[in-house]
Amino acid sequence: MELKIRKNNEIYVIDVSGELDLYNSHKLKELVMKMVNKKIHKFVINLQNVEYIDSSGIGALIYIYSTAKKLDIEFLISNIHGSVKKVIELTKLMNYFPIVNKVGDAVKRLAG
Amino acid sequence: MVKKIQQDDNHMLLVKNGMLNKEFPSDYRQIRYFTLMIAQKAPPGIKEVNLLEQQISELIKNAVKHGNKSDPNKRIKVWYSFSSLNARIIIEDEGKGFKRIDDWNSFNSHRQKCLLDEDFEKLAEYVAYRTSESDDNDGGNALFAATEYWDEGVVFNRKGNTVAVGKRFPKKRPGIEIA
Repeated sequence: MELKIRKNNEIYVIDVSGELDLYNSHKLKELVMKMVNKKIHKFVINLQNVEYIDSSGIGALIYIYSTAKKLDIEFLISNIHGSVKKVIELTKLMNYFPIVNKVGDAVKRLAG
Repeated sequence: MVKKIQQDDNHMLLVKNGMLNKEFPSDYRQIRYFTLMIAQKAPPGIKEVNLLEQQISELIKNAVKHGNKSDPNKRIKVWYSFSSLNARIIIEDEGKGFKRIDDWNSFNSHRQKCLLDEDFEKLAEYVAYRTSESDDNDGGNALFAATEYWDEGVVFNRKGNTVAVGKRFPKKRPGIEIA
């Protein structure tokens, strides 16, 4: 799994690629916690290039979302597709998570 | 109807006759690899083989991590059978057994109620099932997905150290060839 950060004014986009699984998911959590400690308060997790997610990956997203809610951080998840979408659908959390279709939509929403 | 984890030594999903089997050490690092060794036996062309692999991986992870506590001296046994119409898996570990099945079912029924009511604020309390034994890498959501995915059931034996699951695949409609 690879994590890359892009910055668009005050909005940070984390592009995740590869497999968000039991071996890797903690890295995403750690990165977000580092960003939170640096007072970043608007960010997007882009799952466009994630082809595999498991319960640990979903657990990481749950953890990040509940941290964001607690600290009043604006947070969106974008580009959920394919089997990643199927797995999240099985947990019935598609309406729970703050999901938008595309990174562009997320950036627009957070800039507004 | 709320989907539940069942516990029944006499459930037909626990019958191993005619199934293939493999045994693995409790090596956390190799869970995805062990899973591939099982999932590669699934017939080509079944629907959503990635999802099947992911769901098998969760069960193997539970057996290795929560059942055997990743003890390298303990092994897991996997029985499996696949056809174009269904998949069945049985996994036995050498642990003490999952003792919180009633607790889990009760937690899940609260969770289902929040989903039904679309009460997402309250749902936040029920998105992950955690116990004093959970650690940071436990998502706490694998069995919620399992009871959705394995539509023939998720059944534990009385001891709680063996889980059996079954999934039906939709029948393919006869295709029409276009010349």
